[in-house]
Amino acid sequence: MSFTTKSIQNTISEIQQVVDPIGAELNELDGRLGDGDLGVTMINGFNNMKSIIDDMPEDLGQALFSAAKAMTAVSGSSFGTLMATALMAAGKATKGREAAEWSEVPELLQLAQDAMISRGGASLGDKTLLDSLDAVIKATTGINDPEEMQKAASNAAKEALAEFINKPNKIGRARVYAEKSIGLEDPGMVAICRLVDAIPAK
Amino acid sequence: MKKLINNPDKYVDEVLEGMALTYPDIYAIGGATGRMLHRVTPAQDKVGVVSGGGFGHIPVFAGYIGEGFLDACAVGDVFASPDMNPMLESIKFADKGKGVLCIVANYGGDRMNFDMACEMAEMDDIEAIKVIVADDVASASKEEAKKRRGVAGFVYVSKIAGAAAAKGYTLSQVADVAQKASDNCRSIGVALSSCTVPQAGKPTFVIAEDEIEIGMGIHGEPGVGRSKIGTVDETVDKMLSHLLADRPAQAGDRMAILVNGLGGTPIEELYLILRRAKAQLEDVGVKLEHIRVGNYATSMEMAGASITLMQLDDELETLLTADAVCPFWEN
Repeated sequence: MSFTTKSIQNTISEIQQVVDPIGAELNELDGRLGDGDLGVTMINGFNNMKSIIDDMPEDLGQALFSAAKAMTAVSGSSFGTLMATALMAAGKATKGREAAEWSEVPELLQLAQDAMISRGGASLGDKTLLDSLDAVIKATTGINDPEEMQKAASNAAKEALAEFINKPNKIGRARVYAEKSIGLEDPGMVAICRLVDAIPAK
Repeated sequence: MKKLINNPDKYVDEVLEGMALTYPDIYAIGGATGRMLHRVTPAQDKVGVVSGGGFGHIPVFAGYIGEGFLDACAVGDVFASPDMNPMLESIKFADKGKGVLCIVANYGGDRMNFDMACEMAEMDDIEAIKVIVADDVASASKEEAKKRRGVAGFVYVSKIAGAAAAKGYTLSQVADVAQKASDNCRSIGVALSSCTVPQAGKPTFVIAEDEIEIGMGIHGEPGVGRSKIGTVDETVDKMLSHLLADRPAQAGDRMAILVNGLGGTPIEELYLILRRAKAQLEDVGVKLEHIRVGNYATSMEMAGASITLMQLDDELETLLTADAVCPFWEN
């Protein structure tokens, strides 16, 4: 079994089924530090991606690009733009292929991470979803089995969340409330935890 | 809010309809969400030129569609960048196999979304590149000129790029000359009153009856300072001092000048601005070879004006004066 358009379709379908409660939780978290639209972005984004999965091409790169397009069409928020940026970075690297090895996934995540850093201007250590993703990449590198990979990713995302909870946010709207953000979970980091847990491990 | 509008949420789409109805031979509404305005008759066999940005600045951005100008333009909400999709639609509409130049005013959302649209276009094997317009000298120091906002200089850059594409320049040549035009533009504005975004319903900022703000941006971004309003000649002198401090004029320099109204200023006052500016510039030996006065880059009903100077050379002058067919640019 390898990573194909089918894997992307399954992932979007599974997450879309549970996105409403995740979105509600994220809206509440984001309302304390940001503008409270993170959950809305997630809900609208996954609903729109779900609506186009039947038209996804076999070409992995094109499939990831079509997901990015669907994400940007419903949201101009920075989180939506960064999600689309991540999907496009992975899409560029897989253009023209119909399958990738599972062991390549951490490399694709790394490309996504690099693109989000370059577009969004955040750095590692700023207490953003990038810190969660960094932990996930480190924990999954070298693993070839998707089930094992998901477990490692889930643990890593939770550990990152715990590690950063007592640090201040250093970028974005939450930076204004840097002191207040100490002791609070970063909404973007929580989002990564919930998304990883919702991914079907097959 | 006192405006001749219907539902604020439909404001942009209804205005676009009005534009297409007024100029049915020039503008057509397209794209999946109706947020791409494009030429009725697509050009053939040339480099495409597109733009996109927030609404509320007519004729900027979409008004500058036409022969010798833009081929298509993505339209956002009032003062808000469009998302990437109508930008990509514009690029695809304009692509005739020779690539597409995207003229982007220097705002975060516009840049980021055009970056994504260009990447998307690349996946479809369309070459699309950006030129950034950052001409507002009041918005950042000379050392940080790359951070400046894009304002009325956009009009010149679009005219130059559109004319170059129509003359058969290649994509890299169109980009180079557009960049040169952009580098040669300096603008500064002055605001007398605020404006109201329909969806917000309240004025964007407050300014006293007897005050002006030099350097205010076209969305009400802070300028270089507020002061009591003086005579128009005094205000023009202050504006020119900022422009000329940024790029000193030499005797014999050839320049184009655009005296632009922000939407709520009578044209009469714009002529007063031109009158003083011309005298002052000629005093230091500048030759004004191309003069335009009118509403070219507005900010809803904001009262105020901007002055844009573009240093000319033979190439820029030829392209600036080349024929164009656009409702907002008389040859």
